[in-house]
Amino acid sequence: MRKIKDERLVKLNLENIRIVYFVQTIGIIAILAYDLITKGVDGMRENPLWLLFIITAIVSTYLSMNISVDYASNTKSIKKSLLNSISILLLISVVVGIGVYIVEKSMINGILIGGLILICGIPPILYVNHLRKNRNEFYE
Amino acid sequence: MKNNLKIARIQSNLTQQELAMKVGVTRQTISLIEKGAYNPTLKLCLEICYAVNKTLDEIFWINKGE
Repeated sequence: MRKIKDERLVKLNLENIRIVYFVQTIGIIAILAYDLITKGVDGMRENPLWLLFIITAIVSTYLSMNISVDYASNTKSIKKSLLNSISILLLISVVVGIGVYIVEKSMINGILIGGLILICGIPPILYVNHLRKNRNEFYE
Repeated sequence: MKNNLKIARIQSNLTQQELAMKVGVTRQTISLIEKGAYNPTLKLCLEICYAVNKTLDEIFWINKGE
């Protein structure tokens, strides 16, 4: 088979891949939902499709950050928005940590879950900051 | 988008297939462009213009509101 060079067909091909991806995702969700009903949450998590689903979701989120960075207004300075994001994340993790501490009466769990949210939240913020910096340099 | 590709192609004595071969697309794409059913990229527009020896505005220019 020859490589498609026609721009119209390349675009059509991409649109087809989008439909296939949609069907595949629906299939994965249906299988996971079946596992959830028949085997429960732990049974669902044992299925390797769960890992695939989570990885795909993460990749998709990171890729869509590329788009949302362009779409977001560029009026704020990069440093200011980075500080804002980190302070909001800090606030959320502290609030969740305290919430867990109050509900479960366990200091360790509070620190663990608050810390986890903080650790998981920092990479996307740094990535968005990196994208913004790159964009600003590129479009200047 | 409306354009003058069909006239320009006939003036250059080219068939849709020949033009398609010259610019590296399929005949169907050329047909859709002539009908105004497909908007080519600027790169393809330029390739077409080189192939039929016309300028961009001669083939693809339309007045505002047309």
